[in-house]
Amino acid sequence: MTSHLEPVPGPLGGRHPRIDAAAKVTGSTRYVADLALPGMLHAALATATVASARVLGVDTAAARAHADVVAVLTAADVPANSIGVIFGDQPLLVTDRVRMVGDRFALVAARTAEAAWTAARLVGASLEELPGVFDPVAAVADDAPLVNGASNVFRTFHVQRGDTAKQAKRAAVVVEAEYRVGGQDHAYLEPQGCLAIPEGRERITIVASCQCPFYIQQGVASVLGLPLAAVRVEQAPTGGGFGGKEDYPTEPAACAALLAWHTGHPVRLIYPRELDLQATTKRHAMVVRHRWGADRAGRLRFAEVETFMDAGAYVGLSTVVAERANVSAIGPYHVGAVRVATHVVYTNNLFGGAFRGFGAPQVTWAAEATMDKLATRLGMDPVELRRVNVLDDTRRTICTGQRLRTPVLAREVLDRAVELAGWDGFRAAPPAADGAWRHGMGVSLVLYGCNLHWGGQRLDRSSAVVILQADGSVVVRVGLTEMGQGNLTACQTVAAAALGVDPSQVQVWQPDTTTVADSGPTVASRGSLMSGRAILDAVRRLRVRLDPVAAELLGCRPGEVELAGGFARVAGSPERAVAMQAVAKEMSARRIETIATGWHRTKARRFDPATGQGAPYEFYAMACHVARVAVDPGLGIVRVEEVTAAHDVGRVLHRDALEGQIHGGVVQGMGWGVSEELRLDRGRLVNPNFTDYVIPTSADAPRITIALVESDSEAGPCGAKGIGEPSFIPTAAAVRNAVCDALGVEVDTLPLTPPRLVEALGERHPFAWVVEAATRPATEHEPATVGPRA
Amino acid sequence: MARKPRDNEHTCPHGVSRRGFLGSLGAGAVAAATLGRPGETAPPEVADAVEPSKVTLLVNGRRHRLLVEPRWTLLHVLRERLGLTGSKPGCERGECGACTVLIDGVPRYACLTLALEAEGHEVTTIEGLMRGEELGPTQQAFAAEDAFQCGYCTPGQIMAAEGLLRAKPAPTVAEIRLGMSGNLCRCGAYPHIVKAVRRAAEARKGGGR
Repeated sequence: MTSHLEPVPGPLGGRHPRIDAAAKVTGSTRYVADLALPGMLHAALATATVASARVLGVDTAAARAHADVVAVLTAADVPANSIGVIFGDQPLLVTDRVRMVGDRFALVAARTAEAAWTAARLVGASLEELPGVFDPVAAVADDAPLVNGASNVFRTFHVQRGDTAKQAKRAAVVVEAEYRVGGQDHAYLEPQGCLAIPEGRERITIVASCQCPFYIQQGVASVLGLPLAAVRVEQAPTGGGFGGKEDYPTEPAACAALLAWHTGHPVRLIYPRELDLQATTKRHAMVVRHRWGADRAGRLRFAEVETFMDAGAYVGLSTVVAERANVSAIGPYHVGAVRVATHVVYTNNLFGGAFRGFGAPQVTWAAEATMDKLATRLGMDPVELRRVNVLDDTRRTICTGQRLRTPVLAREVLDRAVELAGWDGFRAAPPAADGAWRHGMGVSLVLYGCNLHWGGQRLDRSSAVVILQADGSVVVRVGLTEMGQGNLTACQTVAAAALGVDPSQVQVWQPDTTTVADSGPTVASRGSLMSGRAILDAVRRLRVRLDPVAAELLGCRPGEVELAGGFARVAGSPERAVAMQAVAKEMSARRIETIATGWHRTKARRFDPATGQGAPYEFYAMACHVARVAVDPGLGIVRVEEVTAAHDVGRVLHRDALEGQIHGGVVQGMGWGVSEELRLDRGRLVNPNFTDYVIPTSADAPRITIALVESDSEAGPCGAKGIGEPSFIPTAAAVRNAVCDALGVEVDTLPLTPPRLVEALGERHPFAWVVEAATRPATEHEPATVGPRA
Repeated sequence: MARKPRDNEHTCPHGVSRRGFLGSLGAGAVAAATLGRPGETAPPEVADAVEPSKVTLLVNGRRHRLLVEPRWTLLHVLRERLGLTGSKPGCERGECGACTVLIDGVPRYACLTLALEAEGHEVTTIEGLMRGEELGPTQQAFAAEDAFQCGYCTPGQIMAAEGLLRAKPAPTVAEIRLGMSGNLCRCGAYPHIVKAVRRAAEARKGGGR
């Protein structure tokens, strides 16, 4: 026992170095491409380069004849040839029909990666090309070619609230618009990759770059016909995900697992960048149609939204993405009557999947564009119009009829962002044009439903294990993954705070499906929340055994023990303390169980999918971004100079990681809004590289000013709310509104590439006559060679 | 797409091999031609890969005698032959910067540099920035400023920062943003990266390398 107490500041809300800092700055983090085993083979995929065709035959003889090839597998070798996450509409290897570019004909395992990919190109598929459909609106037409099943409309989701026809009569202005919102590639710096290690024909281990080890476990077990317990998935350190490693990694994992199963060797599959861009899931392109009306005072009377979501050739997670898009279509505004229809439509384009924001960014972009159009028609300041309609504590029912928990901080984030950005000053005296550059400012809000939608609530639970080691250090395992967002560090922080020890005493290890129970996917900004709550539960259970031991050492009752500053001490008498190391040593000496499990599940909610009424999410986070841009109207170039981001975050767990999420969301959101264009030609990506698919660099990143609006919520562990997605969603919309402000024209197509802006300016373009001559023929199709930096 | 080659996979029994071509120029001339003086390059020879050549590479202060195929990239040799996996493959075509190393103190994409070109030059990788057990000042600055998220681009970012600071010990923010723009970070950690480079510049002033 000691009376000398060094006050250790609590880790919550601080900036201690991340748990993985030393490994990452020394290059010693072992990503899956850095792992190799003796006898390991390399996998490659033979894939389709056309989007729609009948398969007449697949000839593997030339590939098999390659000297270093060990195995070539086709659909006939797959025990259960289906890989869809939710619906069984996607084969792992195609047999009769190609529905999108990237569909797999065959898998190759060879002694070198070079031989594997060379042999994969020798696989000959005999194809008869079929007509395809490449636009979600065109796909709905009666005479459109069918992509996958009896109808190209796979599902439609609805929100119906109030009488829009009646409310429309009270509207003084009505905006009708059609927005064409483009997709996006995740462009994580580490390509898809995994390593499959078979143990005879009994069981298999998969080490994968992924967000959702439990999805892979289920996918591999189903393809190989194994019980779940025979498939162990360990998450490798993951070089970025952003949703692209939620659903998709199950496919490469199943491919590598099949090859490993057939050859008996460990098999590693790493996607070359071009294939990664060409074949993996994308953010859904959407066509969003609006009819919104407001009265003279600016009050929103009605909003009608119809969205056509380009699911691509397989549903994947599209229905789940549509559920979020559907209830996010209005934003944090009070509207008299709402009617939303969200269609999930098959096309022969690359298939859509999870991507940061999950359907909400596209509909938010449209909603915030319409808000600005209404403001223009009403002659109101865009911020004023939002103030008239934004939700707050007195008016807190969203379009699904759910009454939000207080505090509702939409008005606060709006006010904070606008003030910090200097909105009023900018509007009162806009900066003069600086040479060719014209300046503009735009605003956007978001209402973000934290965690999983009602439709996925069966997955909304989380598991944790806490082990107190004999030396007082602590091992934590959780089921949710680290992909750069800082989940390991958040877990470390929560565990350290709960046990009253320094974060350096806590080691959180990468998830492994054999150490914790299925915790669902690491998505929906739920990582810190769900793992944190599970850790708190585990610590609570550990203390049932720890507190009596500490109490005995302290000479007090177990109920009086508190843990803080690295000590167990008597509440109210901090001088009576014993180091946690001593408590751990004592528990070990007495052979008391020092491992505890924890569990958390979100509250059950009621929701009616037919009307979209009820509580789709347990709680919400608000955010507001204000963007200041400079635009060169001659060249159509946009420079995003500053983004001011105000976020309703509950309580901060780790300040650096939180700010990092906001920085990343803003930069990625800006890229989506301005420069990242998926240029598809009959379903094939024509720009599958980082020269032509332009993601922001350090020179493009804007100045980012952050305002955190903290509040006491009972949401997450220690009051934290999710931040990963709300940080992304509003940026592109704010940038769009700022660009339109600068140019005085409306642009309803994302991204705002130079050709689009020049086209939108039309006769107002400074060199309109030249542009007329040069670009008119190219506007028939997407310009294939003009990029933002061309 | 660069692919991982294998010893003796291809042979070039007749004609001018790339190896012979490079040999005739001499290592110095090759290096000069490929390390930034394009005016001195001869027209490219098209040739199949050939039998391995002996090469001596100076990496992180250690001399390695190796047999390499002339077409092998420096990135391939660092990772697959020397076990230095800190340099990351991200695109293998000189677009992302995850494989950035220093060659004679200047940042280079290892995926666009042939291993043979590096002969006679000093190669430094992320593993070479350690000072024994201690992190180098740039590494320390990246850790302290939380200048990474997923970490995959981080070794390349740190090497680019190291090269920038060797050339320009006290860069302005604008120079940092431009100087680091050859290295993509999809997590968007740029604001923290810029802070880290400034911090590293300060640290180096106080006696850092």
